[in-house]
Amino acid sequence: MHLFLLGVSHRTAPVDLRERLDFSSRDLTAAAGAIATKPSMSEAVVLSTCNRSELYVATTDPACAREELVSFISEYHHVSAPTFQPHLFALENSAAVAHLFRVAAGLDSLVVGEPQILGQVKDAYQTSASTRCVGPVLSNVFRWSFGVGKRVRTETALGEGAVSVSYAAVALARKIFGRLGGHRVLVVGAGEISSLTAQHLRTQGVGEIVITSRTHAHAEELAAVVGGLAVPWDSMTNALGAADIVITATGSQRPIITRAQLEAAQGHRRGTPLFIIDIAVPRDVDPAVGEIEQVFLYNIDDLQIIVEENLSRRAAEVERAESIVNDEVTKFMTWQRSRSAVPTVVALRQRFESIRRSELQRLEGKLGPLTPETRARVDEVTRLIVEKLLLEPTEQLKALPDEETQAAYTEAVNRLFRLQDQDASEPSKRS
Amino acid sequence: MNTLPLLLYAAAGVAYAIHFARRDSTVGRAATTLLLFGALVHTFVIGMQTMEVRHLPFANFSRAVSSFVWLLTLSYLYLELTTDERSMGVFILPVIIGLQLIPVLHPGVERADPVLDSPWFWVHVSSLLFAYASFALAGVLGVTYMLQFKEIKKKHLGYFYTRLPSLQILDIMNSRAVTVGLVFLTFGVIVGAVWTAQARTIAPDDPNLRAMSIDDPKIFVALLTWGVYSFAIFARRTWGWTGRRAAWLSSLGFAFAMVNFLAINYFVTTSHTFY
Repeated sequence: MHLFLLGVSHRTAPVDLRERLDFSSRDLTAAAGAIATKPSMSEAVVLSTCNRSELYVATTDPACAREELVSFISEYHHVSAPTFQPHLFALENSAAVAHLFRVAAGLDSLVVGEPQILGQVKDAYQTSASTRCVGPVLSNVFRWSFGVGKRVRTETALGEGAVSVSYAAVALARKIFGRLGGHRVLVVGAGEISSLTAQHLRTQGVGEIVITSRTHAHAEELAAVVGGLAVPWDSMTNALGAADIVITATGSQRPIITRAQLEAAQGHRRGTPLFIIDIAVPRDVDPAVGEIEQVFLYNIDDLQIIVEENLSRRAAEVERAESIVNDEVTKFMTWQRSRSAVPTVVALRQRFESIRRSELQRLEGKLGPLTPETRARVDEVTRLIVEKLLLEPTEQLKALPDEETQAAYTEAVNRLFRLQDQDASEPSKRS
Repeated sequence: MNTLPLLLYAAAGVAYAIHFARRDSTVGRAATTLLLFGALVHTFVIGMQTMEVRHLPFANFSRAVSSFVWLLTLSYLYLELTTDERSMGVFILPVIIGLQLIPVLHPGVERADPVLDSPWFWVHVSSLLFAYASFALAGVLGVTYMLQFKEIKKKHLGYFYTRLPSLQILDIMNSRAVTVGLVFLTFGVIVGAVWTAQARTIAPDDPNLRAMSIDDPKIFVALLTWGVYSFAIFARRTWGWTGRRAAWLSSLGFAFAMVNFLAINYFVTTSHTFY
């Protein structure tokens, strides 16, 4: 049985094609079920995110599976095969294992190390598992990949540091205030980044979000989106005095928050920190504001520098993450080979055991006069001899370096001990 | 006898440093375990010494330092286990290890002075050692606050940013440690004064007791330390001196406390030399 992977990703296909081949918007279980019942395939997992649509299958014939999968994709999405075929990538066995491990580790993501992908891999597997579309091949490799994803995240800094401006702002807020519960946010001017940042802050459990904008309707719109409170523009100074986090994003040509204004508002604050995120260009906050003792002022450039630093830090971790993935691929393949040696080992043991029993049977007449204790001892000794004889061959069979060698050894053992003649109903096989 | 705790503290210190640099939680847990083990052995050592001299081993400089280290370790462990925050360990362990070297290198002999045979004296010393332990924690929290503050304020998010807890948490912990320390310092000084008055009636000619006055450097610096911390709390409440100012004041206060505890005792004071 082979592991076979066919798919498109952001590395091989443009976004419009990926959208057309997206499985996630439709019934994933039906797709996996349809694939798993194809003649050449027995198991299927469909991994579909905005950056990839990948079909993992267990098949006896990869070439045949590829053809069947191409025609399936074409029919399922109503896209002609020549449209997407040049963008497909196909991988088999260890290469497919390595790919899945890289995906789970976040190494194949558009933003390297992004955290969602591991959950998406788990969901894809669960969806197939719930409809019994997975068997030993996919089950083992997917379960192993969860561990790889976790290992890369704990042992490297691949997923560390915010890589978008809004997340960078939230991470900074957490570093200043700790838990954000109960802290008040003031959003001045409604724009895309301020909306995103406010939403991220909301998910972190901030207390109140107050929004003000020169156009009150904009403030109300954003308030509805983030669950905040829209206040009139002229009450901004009051709101400034009560806020812990301020996000400014107006189109104003001149600073709207000055040092004097803020110092007046700070009078009531008694030393509690104030974090100001100035996303506007030109800037909304007078840079002198950042000189006030407990004020932390970050503008869009500062945040972008943080994002770039984090991205380069992640890039520096890629090598370590790749080596973990390679290490895990080797471990997985070795483990799998040791498992595929199991039927041969079992057959060999059965062969030896049946010889032992038949010899004891043959000597029944001579052993008859012995006391039950002595007979038990004879039985024990013969069993131990068999165990000892088999110990080394078992270890060796499990530790063979590659599939070819393993096939040769299995064949040799089968012939030397006539295993298949002896147990024809359960031939030793490789998976 | 103090060597085994020192070795365990040193091992914990190395583990805390590795944990801080690599952010490996397994090493972090190992560090805490080593420190807990060190504190346990140290408790045993102090227990043995208490049984030997029939009172807490404070009346000898080295033993007082050892007791202080023990209290500091327990206070730090309390802080770590209640906040689940290990990154302070790398800052506090050097203080613990450095001070524990004193009793190891100069064990000293404890002389039981009949003047000291009063419960007031033991309450006085225990309170002050505990106050110093709190100030040590506050001082370390203050230093780490300043490191973190500098990185965030200057927008150079680097080594400490990724490793230390948030500014607000550091500030709150600092404020608590200073308050607890000040309560014990105040209590300790008052008890000391009461005991001196009592002891003078028993041993009017004792040179130590005669030297107990505001002119004595030890007492003077103790009151100065008390002044610094009282000011820190007052300024926080009244003018909102939190954050970096509070951090700076608590570091200054700790410097005074340590000079008083270590240097002045050794070289200058004429009171407080019962050994």
